[in-house]
Amino acid sequence: MSAYAALTRASFKASVRDTATVFFTFAFPLLFLITFGLIFQGREVDDTGYQYIDYIAPGVLSWGVANAALFGVAFSLMSWRNDDLLRLIRLTPASIWSVLNSRAVVSLLVSVVQSVLFIGVALLPFFGLKLHANWLLSLPVLVMAVSAFLALGVIVGNFSNTPEAVAAIANCIIVPMAFISGSFFPLDMMPGWIEAVSRALPLRYVNDGMSFALNGRGDLTDYLVALGALGVYTLVFGAIALRTFRWSNKS
Amino acid sequence: MSEVEELSVVDAVDAGSTPAIVIDGVSKSYGDVHAVQGVSLSIGQGEFFGILGPNGAGKTTLIEIVEGLRDPDAGRVSIFGLSPHPRNPALLPRMGVQTQKSAFFTRLTAREHLETVAALYGKDAAAAQRALTVVGLDGSANVRVTDVSGGQRQRLAIASALVHDPEVIFLDEPTAALDPQARRDLWKLLRELKAAGKTIVYTTHHLDEAEALCDRVAIVVAGKVVSLGSPHQLVNAAGLPTRLLVAVDRITVEQARAIHGVDSVTVEGGSVVISSRNAAKVLAAVAEVAGLDGVQTRTATLEDVYLELTGTEQQ
Repeated sequence: MSAYAALTRASFKASVRDTATVFFTFAFPLLFLITFGLIFQGREVDDTGYQYIDYIAPGVLSWGVANAALFGVAFSLMSWRNDDLLRLIRLTPASIWSVLNSRAVVSLLVSVVQSVLFIGVALLPFFGLKLHANWLLSLPVLVMAVSAFLALGVIVGNFSNTPEAVAAIANCIIVPMAFISGSFFPLDMMPGWIEAVSRALPLRYVNDGMSFALNGRGDLTDYLVALGALGVYTLVFGAIALRTFRWSNKS
Repeated sequence: MSEVEELSVVDAVDAGSTPAIVIDGVSKSYGDVHAVQGVSLSIGQGEFFGILGPNGAGKTTLIEIVEGLRDPDAGRVSIFGLSPHPRNPALLPRMGVQTQKSAFFTRLTAREHLETVAALYGKDAAAAQRALTVVGLDGSANVRVTDVSGGQRQRLAIASALVHDPEVIFLDEPTAALDPQARRDLWKLLRELKAAGKTIVYTTHHLDEAEALCDRVAIVVAGKVVSLGSPHQLVNAAGLPTRLLVAVDRITVEQARAIHGVDSVTVEGGSVVISSRNAAKVLAAVAEVAGLDGVQTRTATLEDVYLELTGTEQQ
């Protein structure tokens, strides 16, 4: 077994054995879906021909996937460093690359299960999501979203020494980003400048990609731009993650 | 003092095998704290080398510099002729490190943890199984790392350092928190490792252990090596008094004090305790006064040497 496979297996087992976290990882986005579903049930967004659910379903799903990837890797990395596990790995010939990527498969798997559950619930008549023919195009979006937010999570993990720090930093990043990127409220309802700011945020592109895949909003160009932008974010975040990586809290 | 130490280092290396580890003028400070100050020593291949010293003496910093986990401010370290810092993937498989704070993969069992560590070194599950057996953890193989007992944690940490069959093994207080039986079991394991030709570098607070196991020890106080040699050499060189214990009803304190060559006399636990640097002569005189029946002789141990050295340095 390669170092990468071994670390992935260790991450996977650690994740599935933490049943409370598994449960809430999947329950959290559903909770938002139900809340917003109840608030906006059957209402249309002015002049767009789309229902709220068409905005909220891909938006909340995007946020859920990004949130899980970001928190998951940041927590693991922080606790591996605090428990001296990174030090142990540092003393083996395993590469940094295998450490940074060890959670990728786990996070991707989490995001797929999250999506299936989430879309399944959104399709219920009460919420009334109608799946577009493009729906399979959501898979490349998931891969790119997980990559970008995993890399961002590594940066957060690199800078955090305690679980509290991870929670504080990650929440400060993801919560405002979710609002500005239109995950919870349709961007079409917001002032123009917010729409402009959202173009600088990676979650905006996850939303765009998901919206195109799940309900055909936007066109193929928007979709491809979204994938490309997420690729650029992955590279930039990945480079920063590599530069700021620390094996130990001590110098 | 330091000149003497350096001479003995050279002697040991010339007389013994080729050095596995050479530490040359290593210093490391944290702000105003000089954790390690100009330490130089060589450790031969197959040698069992102890680093002793009080808490905060710089033992762990020194050993972490040797392992390549910390970069020294000055000086250099080589292991098998290679520098451990920056991270050297060619050297790492030849080293096994057990850290003070046992690091285990979250929510895995003992076996899964060892299999993961083995894989990081490119070794298979059979290597993990072997390490598990060597440290006697077969019975707890399927217990989660968080649920194993203190002694088992220690052994699992040592197994993690052995899993890839390294040539040099670093152990940081491996017998801390072990009960006496577990400690003796570990001694046996460490002796087997030495017999298998491994170089072992370890830190401990147990002086009896160092005396029983180590070929040579370095006593570190305030970041400096204050004494270096075999436990036997150190005990001899320290010239500490031997203590004779005679039952109180056999000799009086006054009689004992009158013997020529006696340094001090005290009464402890039903015995008159006579300290002397000329034990043979004093023993003969005691024999005349009290006879030799039941007279106990306590020669200085490494612990006495250690307390003498660390006590003086700290004043």
